[in-house]
Amino acid sequence: MMRNQQVLLTDGSRVLIESLAMAGGDVFIGYPITPANLLYGYGQQRFPEFFPAPDEISALQWCCGYSAVGKLPVTATSFPGFALMLESLNMAFMMELSMIIILVQRLGPSTGSATVGSQGDLLLLQGAISGGYPLPVFCPADFQDCWELGRLAVEAAIRLRTPVVLLTSKEMMMTERSLSRSTLPIFETTEHSPQIHASLNSYPFTPDLTPPFAPVGNPHYPVRLNASTHDSSGLIRNSTPEAMKNTERLRDKIVMRMNEYACFDHDVDERSRTLLVTFGISHGAVRKAVEDLRDRKIYVDRLTMKTMLPIPWSVLEMMDRYSHVFVIEENITGTLKQIIFGSRKLPHVHSIGRIGRMIAPDEICAKVVSCLNPC
Amino acid sequence: MSQSLLATASFPYCPGCGHTVIAKALAWAVESIGYHPLDVIVVSDIGCCGLIDGLLNCHTIHGLHGRSVSLAQGVVMGMQTSDKKVIVVLGDGGATIGLQHLIMAARYNVEMTVILHNNLVYGMTGGQKSGLSPCCSTDIDDDYSDAVPPMDVCGLVELAGAAYIRRMYIDDDIESGLAEAIAVNGFALVEIIENCPSHGIRKVRELHGLEHKPIRVLKADRPAFRSKRRQTCSLLDSLEEMEKTEESELTGTVEVVIAGSAGEGVQTAAQLVGSAALRCGLHVAKKGEYPVTVAAGFSIAYLTLSTTPIHFQNIFNPDVALITSQDGMDKVIGLISEKTLVIREESLTFSRTGNEIRLPLRRLAGAKGSAFASLLFWCLKYQIIPLRAIQTVIEGHHHAEKLKLTLKMVGELLSEQAF
Ligand code: SF4
Repeated sequence: MMRNQQVLLTDGSRVLIESLAMAGGDVFIGYPITPANLLYGYGQQRFPEFFPAPDEISALQWCCGYSAVGKLPVTATSFPGFALMLESLNMAFMMELSMIIILVQRLGPSTGSATVGSQGDLLLLQGAISGGYPLPVFCPADFQDCWELGRLAVEAAIRLRTPVVLLTSKEMMMTERSLSRSTLPIFETTEHSPQIHASLNSYPFTPDLTPPFAPVGNPHYPVRLNASTHDSSGLIRNSTPEAMKNTERLRDKIVMRMNEYACFDHDVDERSRTLLVTFGISHGAVRKAVEDLRDRKIYVDRLTMKTMLPIPWSVLEMMDRYSHVFVIEENITGTLKQIIFGSRKLPHVHSIGRIGRMIAPDEICAKVVSCLNPC
Repeated sequence: MSQSLLATASFPYCPGCGHTVIAKALAWAVESIGYHPLDVIVVSDIGCCGLIDGLLNCHTIHGLHGRSVSLAQGVVMGMQTSDKKVIVVLGDGGATIGLQHLIMAARYNVEMTVILHNNLVYGMTGGQKSGLSPCCSTDIDDDYSDAVPPMDVCGLVELAGAAYIRRMYIDDDIESGLAEAIAVNGFALVEIIENCPSHGIRKVRELHGLEHKPIRVLKADRPAFRSKRRQTCSLLDSLEEMEKTEESELTGTVEVVIAGSAGEGVQTAAQLVGSAALRCGLHVAKKGEYPVTVAAGFSIAYLTLSTTPIHFQNIFNPDVALITSQDGMDKVIGLISEKTLVIREESLTFSRTGNEIRLPLRRLAGAKGSAFASLLFWCLKYQIIPLRAIQTVIEGHHHAEKLKLTLKMVGELLSEQAF
């Protein structure tokens, strides 16, 4: 039991927005949508600047404009709004503009149910950038993650010059929980300081594959940002070798540098040959299921993915150690399973999912037990 | 670096295209005002006119089809300075797909100059009609050309609040027109009716046979939009931090469902009791469920109180169900099992075997007080939360007087039951 601790009753939206503002977010630009509406309200209260956009396309275009001049914008939406943002998100990725997009999943398809949570948008994110380019995704599994991954997402967006998605769900953003403030460590703001590069090119090649950022409007040299195929000059080019080299760099930059931000929680029992894999809002149920199974002397490990796209190699290799892998997510199509294992049916890989409500620990335990002891 | 805006004398457009004329006029206008190229940001749209970036020595952003005005608005709002000039280059196709952005930028009166290259046709994709094309501006006409007039973008942005609106022909004095627009401190739109020799009207003189009337409107009295930065406080500081000061009799975990109607204080009641539970050192999770409407239909609060950390909350089989209205009952009835203690509004028709208490909640506490009354009754009767913890959270609430009345009423109810 907690003793003599200062405790708050808060929802995850408040924790996440506070973290993003502390980490260096300059402006919140949004269009209200359930279940991202608490984020919108907190964004209005907390950020030094706030703009109500007339639609989600404008929201992301305004974010791009802010980012182009060296500020870190944050927006929040759910699937219907994210669908409208898609082309602008590709533009931000191509121009290498830093920003944070919080995607609060809700039950789909289409408008679905605005007030029912879900985990249905992971494959959408995997294919969000035309050509299958990796878009960094951070998935908080609890309030401490909202705090820590909020900070990391800002750092990654600025250091890697990329839009970053914080993928969450209605239950994480709207459910209130007791939280001890001492579990949220103070951290430093990530500076978005301009770096003027000697080459005077907008996208020079550097060892870390991330061009130094100079804001549009700077007094030193003209910055060229381009949504169309371009080379290091930032000017429109067809499929020239230089332009293709620049385009390939967009993939390599994220693949190489997302390892710096790889985050996962691997709870290991030495006796186990069975792994339960999950992310985001299903983490709580899986954690409880693992405790219950271990109480019953059924030894299982748990892996909670916190950064994805790409999934770190070390995580993929780790999967090979297990005789059985269960992937638990709040959908019925097995999106995380497809990302990790592809579409092939593998006898040792099992999906546990449902829609319309959160998966219960009992359901997970029952499926694990029935698969491990089929008779 | 050269002070000249144009970086080249060779242009990528078809021979005779109006875009070449406009690019040269733009450079003349910017230089005549005295802008250094690095003080200029050109945001270009998709289409032939969007090829302008490579011709210029200034900052350039080449964005998406129709979104250039919105992107430029983000740039202007982000810079918070008036010593840079943002100029948008878009065509009639971009204006068609992005009309909302033009209206919005005019409504904000964001300081930018929009040069609408209206050659009355989609040139880059082969001569299709845009929303600004009049009948017979292209060989690719459709069945509805006579019935559907072209959009009057100048009229629309004027209505939206633009500071400057100008419509000109390509053979007018567009250098001076553009210079006047660029000097405006606010949203300026210059629509230039021009030819597209490859796909649209080929000869400039044929443009004058169209119905487009030259326009010049200047509204200098409206200040340009400026974004503001403000000081804000931590969102966590604004929450009350609670320390354990009381003891609860609770052992383990209890899962409670409070089921009522939207607008009747169900969520607030659960928050208040959750806060009181924090004062007893308990862990708390509270989830709300309601339809998308705010004050109609059901409102359900799921409240978990526990002596150990709560990693998962989703109540499938509650220990306690507090039911204050028919809306709420209809929603949660499937969750109630033999083990559930039901405390409910007495007027509801509900039959079950098992542990149940019926109370005149709505009569005594009113519709808006009934959820809180039911929670108080349960907390105090079963000594889940001590009275002092509840009194403390009530004292800090902005409806303290009303809540105290409900507490008093529940106290009387409990005394009556004791006899
Ligand atoms: S297609 Fe038309 S608009 Fe495009 S460059 Fe040629 S003449 Fe100009």
